[in-house]
Amino acid sequence: MVQKQRQDAAINALRMIPTKWAVIIVVAIIGYVLLQPQINKWFGLSLPSVASLVGDEKQTSQKKQEKFDSNEKTSTTKADSKASKAATEEKPDKDDSVNKAPTSQPRVSQPRDSQPRDSQPRDSQPRDSQPRVSQPTVGVERDSEKVHGFLTEIGRNRFESPAGLVYGPGSEEGHRLKHIERHLEDQPKRPGSHGVFEGDMHAFLVAIDDAYSRAKSGDKGTKKIQDEGSTIYEASFKKPIGFLGGQEGGRKRNPPLKQLRVVVRGNSLITAFPF
Amino acid sequence: MNSQDSKIIYVESCPICGDGLCRIRICISNQKVTGFILCDECEAMWTDPFMQERVPTNADETDPQCPSCRQSIWGKNMHWANIGEVCLLGWFDQVQMVDE
Ligand SMILES: [Zn+2]
Ligand SMILES: [Zn+2]
Repeated sequence: MVQKQRQDAAINALRMIPTKWAVIIVVAIIGYVLLQPQINKWFGLSLPSVASLVGDEKQTSQKKQEKFDSNEKTSTTKADSKASKAATEEKPDKDDSVNKAPTSQPRVSQPRDSQPRDSQPRDSQPRDSQPRVSQPTVGVERDSEKVHGFLTEIGRNRFESPAGLVYGPGSEEGHRLKHIERHLEDQPKRPGSHGVFEGDMHAFLVAIDDAYSRAKSGDKGTKKIQDEGSTIYEASFKKPIGFLGGQEGGRKRNPPLKQLRVVVRGNSLITAFPF
Repeated sequence: MNSQDSKIIYVESCPICGDGLCRIRICISNQKVTGFILCDECEAMWTDPFMQERVPTNADETDPQCPSCRQSIWGKNMHWANIGEVCLLGWFDQVQMVDE
């Protein structure tokens, strides 16, 4: 009687095990297929792919897939640098309270085989990904090699104009480029004057360089004022380059402005705006 | 962003650059609270809201330094003053306020 019960229990166990183990094995295979390329990249191992264990033809398609994945990763990295445009001044040494946090970031699709970037071990990044250092951490737009189609990167978050003006970290916004961006639109509630440049960032940078060069050379219609550690350059333009904004501008019905004021310290730009 | 940032507290428009607002910058360092006036546009500085005495800056600095702790005016110890801090400094009568 006892023996019969044991036999029944054994038969039941045999019935149970295959299903349980089948599930475990399937999960393990799926896990291996998904994680194998990543584990190889991270730890420099060469675990064979499931495809290579199955046969040559499939291995080729696996390689193609890996190549596609790496392309995707490169383009995502570029997209990431554009995504940083919205906001990301990494300014650990600055007042957090003044950082303008992004309200929304463009969604960037993650490559299938990637983990969140910050969770990747730094010393084992795939060779095809761009080094983090070269990525702009400030919200700047790059057209090919030039930032805003005009500035050359000369160091981490430092950009130089053709006239030699340097745009680097600083100001309440965390970066001078971010600061002067405020002068591309009106702030009607802001007390006093707020000079607004009419045009995009590229046109603004070109105008700043033009005003700076002419004023530095002492051309007609320019002025140079020395003030403590900074120098203020002023230059006139033939046509209006913007208008007077802020509360003062509103009161005067936003008259057009034809002059540009450029404040520098050394050759670093502090601010620039029409007046 | 500071909680007090809903209001801009300022003394006057900047006499140096014309576009900036001369605002009260607070430094808290070594349990000492220091206030000074800073233009939010050209970064000109004064010791107090009477704006008689400038705080000197050097041409080679990227960021001007706090007159008290000599750290960057945009550093961690710094923020724009709130109304309480303005009162504490005894500068309330010298400031204007506007919604940001
Ligand atoms: Zn100023
Ligand atoms: Zn200080």
